[in-house]
Amino acid sequence: MSAAENAEPLNLDWLDRQGEWGSDANPGKQGLTLDDIQIGTYGEVPDESDNMTGRPRGAMARAEAYRIGGYSVRSKQEIWLDNASFLYEEALQRQWSSATDVPWDSIEPLPDDIEQAECELATFLTEVEFVAGDVPSRWVAQMTPDYFEPRNVLLAQVMDEARHMDVFRKRALANGGGLMSATGGTAGVVGSIDLSRDFTEMSSRLHISGEGAVLTIFRMGELMAYNEAEKAMYRLCAQDEARHVAFGVMHMRYMAETAPERREEIECYLDEAERQILAGSQNPAGAQTESSQSLAILLGGGIDQYDEGIRKLMAIRRRQLTEYQKRVRSSGFGERFDNGRSPIHEMIAANAA
Amino acid sequence: MARKSKKQAEPANAQPIPKPNFGWMGRSNQWGTRVKPGKHGLRLGDLNVGIYGEIPEQWQDQTRNPRGAIPRKGVPPVGYPVRDKADLWADSAADLYEEAIQRRWAPATDIPWKSIKPLNEVSERAVCQVMTELSQYANCDIETISNWQHQMAYGYHEVKQYLATASFDSARMYEAFRKRALCNGGGLGLEAPGYVNRMILESRGGWSEAVTYLLLMRGTFMQTMLRYLEKYAHNEAERAIYGFALEAKARQMSYGLEHLQYSLAHDEERRSVMETLLFIGDRVWARELKDHVLREALAIVFAGGLDKAASEGMQIHKAMMTDCMQSYVDTCAWLGLPRNLEMMPPRITQYLVAARG
Amino acid sequence: MAKFPSVAWFDAVRRVYNADDAYRGAGGGQCNCLMGLKVGRERYLVTFEGEAVTGSWQCSNSELLDADFYLEMPLSVWREMLNNIAENGRATLNYTLNTLDLDREEGLSTSMHGDQYREDLFFRYNQTLQFFFNASARVKTVY
Repeated sequence: MSAAENAEPLNLDWLDRQGEWGSDANPGKQGLTLDDIQIGTYGEVPDESDNMTGRPRGAMARAEAYRIGGYSVRSKQEIWLDNASFLYEEALQRQWSSATDVPWDSIEPLPDDIEQAECELATFLTEVEFVAGDVPSRWVAQMTPDYFEPRNVLLAQVMDEARHMDVFRKRALANGGGLMSATGGTAGVVGSIDLSRDFTEMSSRLHISGEGAVLTIFRMGELMAYNEAEKAMYRLCAQDEARHVAFGVMHMRYMAETAPERREEIECYLDEAERQILAGSQNPAGAQTESSQSLAILLGGGIDQYDEGIRKLMAIRRRQLTEYQKRVRSSGFGERFDNGRSPIHEMIAANAA
Repeated sequence: MARKSKKQAEPANAQPIPKPNFGWMGRSNQWGTRVKPGKHGLRLGDLNVGIYGEIPEQWQDQTRNPRGAIPRKGVPPVGYPVRDKADLWADSAADLYEEAIQRRWAPATDIPWKSIKPLNEVSERAVCQVMTELSQYANCDIETISNWQHQMAYGYHEVKQYLATASFDSARMYEAFRKRALCNGGGLGLEAPGYVNRMILESRGGWSEAVTYLLLMRGTFMQTMLRYLEKYAHNEAERAIYGFALEAKARQMSYGLEHLQYSLAHDEERRSVMETLLFIGDRVWARELKDHVLREALAIVFAGGLDKAASEGMQIHKAMMTDCMQSYVDTCAWLGLPRNLEMMPPRITQYLVAARG
Repeated sequence: MAKFPSVAWFDAVRRVYNADDAYRGAGGGQCNCLMGLKVGRERYLVTFEGEAVTGSWQCSNSELLDADFYLEMPLSVWREMLNNIAENGRATLNYTLNTLDLDREEGLSTSMHGDQYREDLFFRYNQTLQFFFNASARVKTVY
């Protein structure tokens, strides 16, 4: 019998069980972006998600599907930011390779004190990026795919942080040095990023406070670079970090606009962040730690110019705190700087000339 | 060489600078390491020299101490439950990480979306149904990998870094499949049955157990499907989507199968556990294969429309399933887990028996 | 040959930048921002849209409010930077945008609107901005 004669009839009932039909997204000047496919019901992001089966947003549900999701993040307010699609597409477009986009050949031997400072800083930055890779990953696993846009941005962040871990390890081992002492500054203590039980809590600590501080360190790295490789490495890391900070600012802005009932709670997160992360050991431009000493040696140009380096560090720390303040204002929580709640003014004054 | 930083003026009321303790200086487990870039740049695997390349069978450190750095005493643990090498290792992880970065793709601009022309409605519905199910598989990849990656200790950073690329690739796949469903007058279809997804997500025993279901089982199926879809693509855009997805999936499979091979070679208990998992998994998979939706959608795609879907389309689908199941049992045999066809569900063995004539 | 600053100069640089695919990789890529420049008494706006720099024009001081960020230095420092780029094919250690921003007390990048989210685009797109100015190495610049 031929194939046609052997053929069993098809059921085809699924042809009538599909989502909204007629979606015709067209690519724009920047290709076919996630924004371009936010059409009809596919662009409707529910305030609360009842998608517990992991189906793509807008797909037709099966009545018999198991609720396998177990998602703890199921409301838009917990996770959303208005430009998630844009940040994700930007992340995709601006990826780089530490193996080939950093001119490693440009590194030449440095004085021992400088090389040690570079390696200690690289060791610290590797630790810091470990946090920033682990924590978003944990949250991604808990999110309903109805909010895949911010989820994809976090996946891009996990990718970026993997690349940062890699590039700092490479720098530590590329010029006659090695890894040095771990700082322990990212340990699981109360108030740390790891222990956040709420996404907004985590984002305020990780993206706005933590990554904002690290962005400044990367920019300092570019400033104090001793060769083209370090220049490129720090500049490219800073780009990625600025994108992560942007996620945090935009999420907080969304919360400020849509969740007034959580305002005081978020203010408490910022209180804690300002006490711990900006002042403590997780910010090497803060207290006197191995990493802040390393920065000072690098900024000064050597251990014998340590004091000069510290002065530069203090100046940059002021800028770091000022930028943090402006980011929080941009997020819609600037009142804390005007009503005396935030100690930022005192921190800036303490670091003033 | 060293750039001169611009001197900061000494301010009049400057606070005294505390005398630093440079106790950290001169402390390194291995100083004097100078890794040079090779033909392909400075790659992650190149860094494994001396102690930096010593990868122990178990990583006791529960903090974020980078491998080879001097640990700090008194640091509270973060907690990394996956800390045995046999539970996650693959020698190729570092190379796969670098490969994923070099072969990165952006669906928005690397897919020639304008090559898509209208299809007849049934064909479009079939493509959209396939895209919907593939999206759901990609979602399962994302959730599974992300759930396990952060639990892995930093003694095996190569694996964590590779998995970061793997989950990012799955995000790209999720995005590309969704874009295809929404760019040609169609929409999303019916969600997948989810039995295998549930089994993958519920692999709480360990990462190796999750890899068995996610990659050995589901991965083989998805990879075979993508190969056939690429062959029967309607346009350059679909060909590119499937092509990029295949590359990413191939990397995931390389990692997964190499890990399982390593795991089986280094953990005596693993073999019997995996045999049990495969026994259970086959039955869940067979149950999912009973669902007609994806099968019919694929038949329509392969046949180029409804007319010959029941005949030629289904023949091609059968060939695809035969390839898939053969690959699956061959891989199991390669891993040292030969399958007894008499113990496998008929819905799976029907393809193997047919192939053997 | 083009005089800096002038629309002709920015157009010449953007032609070089737009034509070279190398500027799209290595951490460059799609960039979407409106960059302003203050050079002496002159003000300019340059549009980055996707993979291309799509336009540049002279503007008033108040129009700089539209810029996501603007770069301000005395003409003498702009000349030093551009001469460094012309001599070396790219900015070297002391003349990258980020270095100039941090090394100078008054900084380089700022805004009239004060929104740090938008000012942060200077960091998010820093490699692209650097590539743009590096492209001036292939433009004969006069002052």
